[in-house]
Amino acid sequence: MNALLEKHTKDIEDILKKYPEDQKRSAVMPLLYVAMRENGFVSKQDMYDIAEIIKVSATQVASIVGFYTLYHDKEGGKHRVQVCNDLPCALRGSGEYLEKLCENIGIKVGETTEDGLVSVESVMCLAGCDKAPMFQEQNPDGVFYHEDQTVESTLELIEQWRKQEAK
Amino acid sequence: MTEVLEEKTTKLVNLTIDNLEITAPEGTLIVDAAKLAGIDIPVFCYHPKMEPVGMCRMCLVDVGMPMRDRDTGETIMEKGKPKIQFGRELQTGCTVSVSEGMVVVGYTEKVKKGRQDILEFLLSSHPLDCPICDKGGECPLQNLTIGYGSGESRFDLEEKQHLAKHVPLGDLIWLDRERCIQCARCTRFQDEIVDQPVIGFQNRGRKLQIVTFSEPGFDSYWSGNTSDICPVGALTTADFRFGARPWEMQASASVCNQCSVNCNITFNTRREAKSGGDLVIKRAMPRQNEEVNEVWLCDKGRFAYTSVKKDDRLTQPLIREGETLVETTWEKALDLVAEKAKEAGKEMVSLVGGRLSNEDYFNINQLTAHLGGKSLLNSEMAGGDLVSQVGLGTGSNIADMGQGDAILIVASDLEEEAPLFWLRVKQAAERGAEVIIANARETRADRFAKYKIRIAFGQETAVILSMAGAKEGIAVEFLADDAKVKAAAKVFSEANNAVIYYGSDGLGLSGSEELSKACAFLLSETKHTGRPNNGLVAVWNKANLQGAWDMGFRPSETLAADLKNAKFAYVVGNDPASKDILEKSLKDTDFVVVQDVRLSETAEIADVVLPAQVYTEREGTYTSAERRVQRFYPAVPAPEMTKPDYKITAKIAKRLDLSLEKIAASLVFLDLAEKVADYAELDYVRLAEVTEQWPIIGRDDLFYGGTSYQNTQGLGKQISPAIETETIKYEAFVPSVLSKKDEFLAVPVTTLYDRGSTMLSSEVLQPRIADPYVILNTADAEKLGVEAGVQISVKLNGKTANVTAKLDDSLAKGIVLVPRSMGIPISDPGSITIKAK
Repeated sequence: MNALLEKHTKDIEDILKKYPEDQKRSAVMPLLYVAMRENGFVSKQDMYDIAEIIKVSATQVASIVGFYTLYHDKEGGKHRVQVCNDLPCALRGSGEYLEKLCENIGIKVGETTEDGLVSVESVMCLAGCDKAPMFQEQNPDGVFYHEDQTVESTLELIEQWRKQEAK
Repeated sequence: MTEVLEEKTTKLVNLTIDNLEITAPEGTLIVDAAKLAGIDIPVFCYHPKMEPVGMCRMCLVDVGMPMRDRDTGETIMEKGKPKIQFGRELQTGCTVSVSEGMVVVGYTEKVKKGRQDILEFLLSSHPLDCPICDKGGECPLQNLTIGYGSGESRFDLEEKQHLAKHVPLGDLIWLDRERCIQCARCTRFQDEIVDQPVIGFQNRGRKLQIVTFSEPGFDSYWSGNTSDICPVGALTTADFRFGARPWEMQASASVCNQCSVNCNITFNTRREAKSGGDLVIKRAMPRQNEEVNEVWLCDKGRFAYTSVKKDDRLTQPLIREGETLVETTWEKALDLVAEKAKEAGKEMVSLVGGRLSNEDYFNINQLTAHLGGKSLLNSEMAGGDLVSQVGLGTGSNIADMGQGDAILIVASDLEEEAPLFWLRVKQAAERGAEVIIANARETRADRFAKYKIRIAFGQETAVILSMAGAKEGIAVEFLADDAKVKAAAKVFSEANNAVIYYGSDGLGLSGSEELSKACAFLLSETKHTGRPNNGLVAVWNKANLQGAWDMGFRPSETLAADLKNAKFAYVVGNDPASKDILEKSLKDTDFVVVQDVRLSETAEIADVVLPAQVYTEREGTYTSAERRVQRFYPAVPAPEMTKPDYKITAKIAKRLDLSLEKIAASLVFLDLAEKVADYAELDYVRLAEVTEQWPIIGRDDLFYGGTSYQNTQGLGKQISPAIETETIKYEAFVPSVLSKKDEFLAVPVTTLYDRGSTMLSSEVLQPRIADPYVILNTADAEKLGVEAGVQISVKLNGKTANVTAKLDDSLAKGIVLVPRSMGIPISDPGSITIKAK
């Protein structure tokens, strides 16, 4: 049984409607977002389910998950802090920023805080070099840019998220 | 040198590569044009059988074009020659096509530097574990590093990535992540060539890796080919990894005997201590034959050699003494066999299997005829006689079929029955050939078929006759009126060339015979006979069934009675007693002689057992379903006391005053050519002829087409249909109406990975064998309360078995697919009872 299709029947049908009969495979990306909505990552079973829906191989779905940094195949924090660490950002101190940030919240790059609120990742170009250090936040509501960051400003932000969570 | 490519295009262009003036067809890629001219441009990602992608950048060359005057468009001359302008950057030779006046340079310092840089990048994180790498010795990365690499690395050793080195991508292929250079040859092969993208790239940049998410891993019949074309040792095969070094091995040409395609293979052998000092087969590689298997093999064919074991071989003649079989001498065994054969005279039958060589069949048939006995074939497929009449015309090559041609597949799951035929038809479809498929269920060939006619099991003959526009009273009307059938019939009839592949999906012997007649009739009615790329192909389920038919053997509807009434049964290379009904009959046969390589069930009840040789130990020829006669050669020595089948038969014949050739297979073939008209023009020398093939692979070059072997020992010869012009009449049509009162109808189908002796005795292939199963329609299953994957109890032909239930939406209600050789014996469609457990 296709659990994903069962759970989000209407959404998935709406997405599929946008694609011609013989090109349903192109729906892979929006479907991956549907799968991510639940837990913030695409489980292996989701990949099999999507593959079945659009009739491609599960390996092809997994390839797409692996290619884009906006898709995740592992559980992460509710807020994913994706710091750009490409050369121009690094020249503006993003390396040091990333290191210090991690130290302050007590995790390593790629890890998640114990309360499951924040995970920190190092990613490739986000097209925000002029406002580096910067990061992209991915949370259940969408993707947000936070530019001209300092360790302090980011910590403040995290504190706000924590407060929201407590409410 | 360019003839191979010239045939396909008309316009030729002149260009210069490394100062050599050459002519090449327009549109040829620089790397190919160079290769044709004998110049090697190094490549990693480019493969001549796949679309170029320009990923690895190894084939960098300097490309110049004649300068033109902007105003007049005339070529600017300098010292009597066109002035050449080179680009600022180097270009990849695999993505640029040749054009008139082009100048390609691959030897300058600039080019050398470019290639050096690419290699340095590739090696920046390569483990350099060549001494323990299977590819070492036939590795382009190794060769090119010697050619272009720098002596030392400028990259920090500490920064080298350390990745997993033993990753099983399924049971047959192992991945070494460190060695992978990300050329995508393997993933492109799976996607482009075999339409099964079950391996893919994940992540990006240096983190990029090959993954599989299929169940089981790397779920494809084609996985071994990715190891051949892998330009490094990243993908290795389960049978060969850490098994031997390429330079230690000898190569011997052979022909795969797993199905009727007869793929050309090369066995690599080595004498080794591990095997008691014996010469043993270490791996099977494709041997290029562009008219048969190109440079590919299916996994069953590749790994089948691992099923031959020294321990379970028959090595001594055996003779029955009461309840047991005891060892005896050849003299005693043969004397007794001859004596009993003489007593039986006309009441003897020879029963052969589908994997003997033509020479064996010929001698056995001669002996049988001499005694006045019956030459019978243990097979559930018919039509070999019609194939010899309207088979593919001489000079056929499916690779030549495309736009304007039609290919009809009927009653065949082509990939399961003959993987390479499936691949060749798929490629023809991609070139524009119209593929028509008339099957009772969905198969992988549906994906490239333009006309999909879904018939019911039992309508195979009717649909073909309808397409032929058979006269009243012959065809079943509703099929003739079906719009799809009409459209397909039109396409087929109007096609420039048309070929029919008929298989055995859902058919027993009588159904198969009717179908073959209908197919021959359709070809004859539409005048698709007697010409290249026109005719009938029987997708036999054994390697040399066509040869058996050609040599005079026929299957029998009344095999059980034939055996029962016989006074003497000469059973060669098959195991009738594995079927209950035949076992009972054989117990009534007065005297049973079994000639085989293993102690089969039939051998266990035989009076005399004669030890024969496996095809890898001897010479012979097979005739493929396309009626190509090809030679195979001995690869390893045979156990001392065994003899090739044709020789054993000749020795029996001698005792019955019949002189048959026994010295060598080639001499038997001379006799055969004299007596069997279609083979008249052939001999072993002609069969060993080779001609230039494209692409050029398997040579001492900088890796191009992979480690497949160049064909040096024979492409074989296709024999012409006996009657190239005569029309075929279709007279009797007895629609094989299937009984409707049965709740469920079991139909036999073929699956490549069955539970036959090859699969079961091969440790490499074993993990891929499924548990015994049947396939039900989803709606039926729901009604029975059966879910996919659960155990159910089935009763067929009086036998009960517990099997796994699989579901298929494309099946008609009431149909149960029962795979052949999968634990439940089935020869014809019949009633089956199913119970949920």
